[in-house]
Amino acid sequence: MAEFTSKSYFDFLEEGRIMGSKCMSCGTVHLPPRPICHDCGATEMEWTELGGEGVVQAVTVINVPLSKMEGRCPYAVAVVKLDDCPSISGLVHGVKEGGELSIGDRVVAEFVKEGDKTTLCFRSS
Amino acid sequence: MRGVGVRLSREIAIIGAGMTRFHHKLHADKTSRELFVKAALEARGSVDNGFELPEVEALFVGNFSSDAFEGQIHMAALAADWLGICPRAATRVEDACASSGVAMNVASMAIASGAYDIVMVGGVEKMRGLRTEEVTDTLAMAADAVYEVGAGFTFPGLFAALASAHFAKHGSNWEQLAAISIKNHHNGALNPKAHFQSEIMETARKLGERNDMTFEDELEFLRSPLNPVIAHPLRLFDCCPVSDGAAVLILAAGDVARKFTDTPVYIRGIGQASDTLALHDRVDLTTMNAAKIAAAQAYEIAWVKAKDIDVADVHDCFTIAELLATEDLGFFPKGEGGLAAENGRTALDGDVTVNPDGGLKAKGHPIGATGAAMAYEIFKQLRGEAGRHQVDDVEYGLTHNMGGSGATVSVQVYGR
Repeated sequence: MAEFTSKSYFDFLEEGRIMGSKCMSCGTVHLPPRPICHDCGATEMEWTELGGEGVVQAVTVINVPLSKMEGRCPYAVAVVKLDDCPSISGLVHGVKEGGELSIGDRVVAEFVKEGDKTTLCFRSS
Repeated sequence: MRGVGVRLSREIAIIGAGMTRFHHKLHADKTSRELFVKAALEARGSVDNGFELPEVEALFVGNFSSDAFEGQIHMAALAADWLGICPRAATRVEDACASSGVAMNVASMAIASGAYDIVMVGGVEKMRGLRTEEVTDTLAMAADAVYEVGAGFTFPGLFAALASAHFAKHGSNWEQLAAISIKNHHNGALNPKAHFQSEIMETARKLGERNDMTFEDELEFLRSPLNPVIAHPLRLFDCCPVSDGAAVLILAAGDVARKFTDTPVYIRGIGQASDTLALHDRVDLTTMNAAKIAAAQAYEIAWVKAKDIDVADVHDCFTIAELLATEDLGFFPKGEGGLAAENGRTALDGDVTVNPDGGLKAKGHPIGATGAAMAYEIFKQLRGEAGRHQVDDVEYGLTHNMGGSGATVSVQVYGR
């Protein structure tokens, strides 16, 4: 079984799958995957596949970028709560202005390959 | 999980404090070691009955990233070297933007443990050697590099996202954030150590003249293109500047402090807590849990309640951070921090004065120096030496220093 590391997480994204770790003791799901349960402290985990639909919990549109994102502003980033529990951060495509995307809006996952890395992004659904 | 508080088994007193002015140009010809030495010499000079640097038994230095900013690590030993106090133990503390607030706690525990009677604690950052994009990259290192920065978040972006969540849940708004910015610039204009020493209207007039624009009031200027959006809803005047500077305190055990001064300021309580680095791993995006827990610890040790605090320096790296802090520290109920700021309740003459020195917003934020500079301010306030931004009748003061987007928070409560 793949270890519960960021490498495994990104390898799964490469396959188009959002995989989290599920605590075998209390059932809490962690995304990104982690080896120690946030909830009960148990260390027995199994992989679980998550659906790509969720709602926006927090969002911003960035005008002053990181150097790696130069030339791509404005772009939106959000904290998205997936329907099957945990939240995750990701770019939201198709949003160019603050206020276009609101808290509670529904989004769906997109897997974006850039160079040799696939990242989890979202789009309004 | 509950926090675990620290018991202080000895009294801890601040006997001296010094800081450089925080600025983006003034220190262009200086490195961190020189800034730290400058602040340390001012701290030495501030000790009423005299103080010699070799009386320092140990040194603690908060520093965020001289690694990236200057290509220099090992800042504590370097500072000890240039202060001429080798072979005293020198320890660097790094907890992102809370580095010197945490160093204050570590130094306090070093005295409380009985290990030392007199310690020097401070912080320093020299940030202006890099381009803006490089500074943005370096600041983002305080967030989760893989899962947040990897997703495209900048540091202002994380706080903008927090603002969006608070606005949606509690009905707060950007005008309330603007009130915080206006208040902190007003206070900064009264503080000779502040990076920005002008009221927002003064800046609006100057920038307006250059751009052939006039503004009726602060809000009209703050809504204009001259105050560009950095990360929606946060604009330039919601963000602290990039500054260079250092701040230094001299701490002594209560039983030796009176030898140095008749008016020491006592650290009555300390607290510290952690939280997940990534926002997406938190249960509630409208509360900084580490701040609540650190404050509860510090209040309990100091035998005070939030309502007893007269003056507080809180970590307003962004205006929304001050709003959150004033709620999480218990000054106002959750959801009412913005309204309180708008109604002047955190002003110099308010119920609880917040950031009388201008805060990070106007005073500046040389990251590693910030926690120590907060302690400098409260030391001055409690001794009635704060000058034009002195708050009346101060009995208890508080400092709140936050690392990252709330993954580390240190709190100190002070009294006379």
